[in-house]
Amino acid sequence: MNPVPRILARMIEMSVTLLGASVLIWALLPLAPGDPALRTLQAMGNDSPRAAEVKALREQFGLDRPLPLQYLAWLGRALRGDLSHSWQSGKPVGAELARRLPATALLAVVTLFLSIALSIAAALISAAFYRRWPDRVLRAFTQLAASLPGFLLGLLLLQFVVLRFGIGRIVSAGSIEDVWLPALCLSAGRAAEWGQLLRAGLLDALQARYSLVAAARGATPWRILLRYALPNAMPPFLAAIGRGIGLLLGGVAVIEAVFSWPGLGSLAVSAIAARDLPVIQGYVILATLSYVAAGLLADLASEMLDPRLRAREA
Amino acid sequence: MRTYGRGISRRLWGQPAGRAGLLLAALLSLMAVGGGALRDAAPDRMNLAEKLQPPSRRHPLGTDQFGRDQLARILDGSRRSVGAAVIVMAGVLIAGLTAGIAAGLVGGWGEAAAMRGVDVMLAIPSLALALAISGLLGPGYANLLLALTLSNWAWYARLARSYVLLARLRPDVIAARMAGIGWLRTAAGHIVPGVAVRLAIVATLDLGTIIIGFASLSFLGLGVQPPDAEWGAMLAESRLYFSTAPWLLIAPAGAIFLSVVAANLIGNGLREADE
Repeated sequence: MNPVPRILARMIEMSVTLLGASVLIWALLPLAPGDPALRTLQAMGNDSPRAAEVKALREQFGLDRPLPLQYLAWLGRALRGDLSHSWQSGKPVGAELARRLPATALLAVVTLFLSIALSIAAALISAAFYRRWPDRVLRAFTQLAASLPGFLLGLLLLQFVVLRFGIGRIVSAGSIEDVWLPALCLSAGRAAEWGQLLRAGLLDALQARYSLVAAARGATPWRILLRYALPNAMPPFLAAIGRGIGLLLGGVAVIEAVFSWPGLGSLAVSAIAARDLPVIQGYVILATLSYVAAGLLADLASEMLDPRLRAREA
Repeated sequence: MRTYGRGISRRLWGQPAGRAGLLLAALLSLMAVGGGALRDAAPDRMNLAEKLQPPSRRHPLGTDQFGRDQLARILDGSRRSVGAAVIVMAGVLIAGLTAGIAAGLVGGWGEAAAMRGVDVMLAIPSLALALAISGLLGPGYANLLLALTLSNWAWYARLARSYVLLARLRPDVIAARMAGIGWLRTAAGHIVPGVAVRLAIVATLDLGTIIIGFASLSFLGLGVQPPDAEWGAMLAESRLYFSTAPWLLIAPAGAIFLSVVAANLIGNGLREADE
């Protein structure tokens, strides 16, 4: 099977799954306590709307129609980017999300680069100095980072670095100067996990016959590590990164709350406190889309890197 | 399969990391079960005359902004924090095993439909799903446990099903079927126990992640409500006082950290013992 139809098949499968997920996400609204029309009117400043006003809005929202039709109407609007109105502010959810997206995107990109850089550096050093002190020190650090939840690291950094030494700020403006501490908190656990994975892959690759052949042909240990072991250890590492990118948007909420980072996560947290279901819904939609898309991209990337994966299906 | 489970636990105990993890976990469980009795100071009793006191002989971990004894609250909270990990793990195991085994045994259309459903659940990142369910149900300890269970069981269902499919090809299962033993008895006697042990091992590897997830959402205020004590909630409640009373940060943070360390040590030990 050549690559284009296969990618197409994956995308169709993905769309079916996403369609199923959309039913679940839509169901948040009818399951929510309270009348959406009433909540919307209240959010727009009409504190005690008359019954006729509520009824008119219910009809406008289509809430008097059967649930399957409501779902289809919701899906149609969602596909066009219309995610109804926040029950808190009365503003369109799409616009609110768009306003918060850049800060979270910045945080996610910096986190991603930081995690990848840290994990590759740690894994290479660990593999090069296997069972010697740099490897032992890094493994100890890795265990520590894997056991310290990101939000705890954040609270500790705020307390003992920001307040004590005046590095960074407590309330972030969502700018590039402030991004490092929250990004570090999000990276620590990920870098630990990915680093362990890559280290194991590198050690396996160094045991393989091609490494022995390379050594016999006079390649230096670092050249074997970088030129032969690293590419071979890449695919599982990339798959983990793909999953990690996708989960990032779901995981930013806590760190954003700790650092008052003005992104999607803080928006979601405040929406949950107010039980503002349309905003929560928008957040879950974005988290799901990015998760599924990242998984697809990671698959494609590992196929490009590893010709065996293509050959096996051919 | 029972002997398999026993062999694994013996090998786990035989390793330094596994043993340290088991001992730490035993200590935390002991705290959770008997912690309240260890310290007679009531965890919810306020005493504004003694608020924000640093650690002393009278209050070994200091007091919070309401003058409540921090040690009593840590001990009382351990019941809910450690309990949460146990309950969520049991919940995802039971839900995953039931769904996965049912799908694996039924086969055909029922299985295909169930697995499509699991795929759909898995397409939504679990933390985002947990946040959404919490938003729907509202804050509260039981609601948070339910949200975490609902957002994490699908993966276990998929694993359980794949273990069932593998087990169906095992000689003892085929022999039992050929001896004329019915499907249900074969499943109960030969398939379910082994699948349950394997799944329990996977769940133990995930225990650290479950504890972190619970602590994070609890810190966001989605779990235990005041005045009840729970480690994540204690952090959220005292956040404004950390700069003047850092012990309010260190004690609950240390407790959460130690429970994740225990889970990870056991997980790493299990992974090696299983190989």
